[in-house]
Amino acid sequence: MNRSKVVVIKGKGVLGAGGDMDRVKIAEMLSLGFRHLTGARETGEGLARLFARGDRIGIKVNTIGGRKISTRPELSLSLAELLIKNGQPDRNIVIWDRTNRELREAGYSLSDRPNGLKVFATDTAGAGYETEIIAHRNIGSLFSTIQTNFVTASISLAILKDHGLAGVTAGMKNYFGAIHNPNKYHDSHCDPFIAELFESKPIKDKHRLTLLDALVVQYHRGPSYHTQWAERSGALIFSLDPVAADAVGWRLIETLRSRKGLPSLKEEDREPVYLGTAEKLGLGRAGSDSIEVIEDEI
Amino acid sequence: MKRRRFCETLAGTGFLLGTGAAGALTRVWNFEDTANLSHVEARYYKKHPDREIECLLCPRLCKLGDKERGYCGVRQNDGGTYYTLVYGKACSANVDPIEKKPFFHFLPGTDAFSIATAGCNLNCKFCQNWQISQVRPEQVPHFDLPPAEVAAAAERNKCRSIAYTYTEPTVFFEYMYDSAVEARRKGLRNCVVTAGHIQPEPLQDLLKVVDAAKIDLKAFRQDFYKEYVRGDLQPVLESIRTVSQSKVWLEIVYLVIPTLNDREEDIRSMCRWMAKEVGRDIPLHFTRFQPMYLVKNLPPTPISTLESLRDIAIEEGMHYVYVGNVPGHSAENTYCPRCRNMVIERFGMQVKAVAMNKGACRSCQYPIPGIWA
Repeated sequence: MNRSKVVVIKGKGVLGAGGDMDRVKIAEMLSLGFRHLTGARETGEGLARLFARGDRIGIKVNTIGGRKISTRPELSLSLAELLIKNGQPDRNIVIWDRTNRELREAGYSLSDRPNGLKVFATDTAGAGYETEIIAHRNIGSLFSTIQTNFVTASISLAILKDHGLAGVTAGMKNYFGAIHNPNKYHDSHCDPFIAELFESKPIKDKHRLTLLDALVVQYHRGPSYHTQWAERSGALIFSLDPVAADAVGWRLIETLRSRKGLPSLKEEDREPVYLGTAEKLGLGRAGSDSIEVIEDEI
Repeated sequence: MKRRRFCETLAGTGFLLGTGAAGALTRVWNFEDTANLSHVEARYYKKHPDREIECLLCPRLCKLGDKERGYCGVRQNDGGTYYTLVYGKACSANVDPIEKKPFFHFLPGTDAFSIATAGCNLNCKFCQNWQISQVRPEQVPHFDLPPAEVAAAAERNKCRSIAYTYTEPTVFFEYMYDSAVEARRKGLRNCVVTAGHIQPEPLQDLLKVVDAAKIDLKAFRQDFYKEYVRGDLQPVLESIRTVSQSKVWLEIVYLVIPTLNDREEDIRSMCRWMAKEVGRDIPLHFTRFQPMYLVKNLPPTPISTLESLRDIAIEEGMHYVYVGNVPGHSAENTYCPRCRNMVIERFGMQVKAVAMNKGACRSCQYPIPGIWA
């Protein structure tokens, strides 16, 4: 059985002392990651294997945590630029989340240029949620029209964090920001809700890539930011398997916790059980034996 | 970003699919600006280290990190302080007959000024008001209606009471409580329409300022509560018991959903529990379900089912058992348990005739429990 591939790229010095980011290095990390992920010799060739020319690409970011612990705009914009540089029309790319306020607070400049890259949220006038509930297993939600109407290929560009309820919030839970009622899905460690939401048609049919922002990882007391438990890991995690990406992210968090003398998530009774559910639903692979991790560094 | 500008943006990119801009835009859900939400410190919560809080309002006891909202979607942790986002932010305000709640033994034939905010601490798959209860406050139009204005509006509209209803008033507790205090100052009564999924302490405080409570008992089985309500039965039973032991008037509503909560043995158990724990005089309403929200695959409740369950409840000794959402049904009326004569005649939400004198049956003088004036 083929194993799921997860690529971890570390960028030495990508984060400056003041928290600023080296955009050139981020771009290099992205290019290298895509080449490893796709097996292509050229970045453009690799991206072409993931996205067709006519695709409208949604880059779903997670900005609930404010400037310090959200998907970083420098990363999102670098990804968009890389796509554009390699042939995707900028007008067909949207960086989005649920509210414009959260995007702004995370450092994004909103943009709605008809012929340019777009950055806006579901609460933008004229966007919004569908008015009909989509029901799938235990999920009953209104989905963002950005996801249902506009996007044909979706990238979950999530921040990797410890989460008090789910254990970990990463690429799969990021799609909680694509529905109107995420507050209803936090019981029982967010399980089976994270996996079932991902399995719903508007998400599963369009998801192409998980890319985790692990440049700074909140490994304890997440999902909010706490300086003392935020590690400057300088890493990006890529995978076409959404479950494997999250599983590798989880193990990174466990490694950091162990290194800092903290109990494991299992010991704190908040292991990310959604990964097992997702695996059972056939969404991807969670076990270490089923995942091939390729690590590289710039 | 303005709506027109957004349309231009999408038109320019070909983002809008199918029927074109106009067609697509009719399918969206509108927003309010989150800046318009309230930021009033919530009651009933505990602060924990590292800006975490624990909500003590309902049995969920949500533990929330900074920036997170509770299950209800209307209470948020901001920097370690817990806030209600819906204080004075009504999404509905109407003058309703009190019978609509339904209250049948509380000020019959009067109007209640009825208010709600967005939000609910449950997620019933059969919710009849999901468009306002299962959304966040910024996802539904709302308007400023502070507590003093609630009472003033009730008075202006000649309402005898204020009803906290439509969604789940537990989640707008602070707003409800302060409005109830204002209402009492004006000599108005207060009634709450709730699922009873609330912690004992806030409930005890609430009972000091309200006059009547209608509690929705969704089923008499925990597995139903877990699967269809996303809550627990036991706290609801505790709330029913607590209200029945107070001076607040209590009525129970049971929405009968075909095949899901209409088992005869469950109804019998429920009535036995009620007879023992809260008394036979508590009005019990069996109301008719209409397919909605996530339960659209079942038909409306057959009237024969409602009648059959009513018969069971009467057999088990309940004195006042009603059939609801069936206008014109004879079981909308109140009958004297002793002489069986009709004491209140109703049609839908209208009171047609009252044959009572000072709270007693006009024929046999049997006292009919309730708040009549």
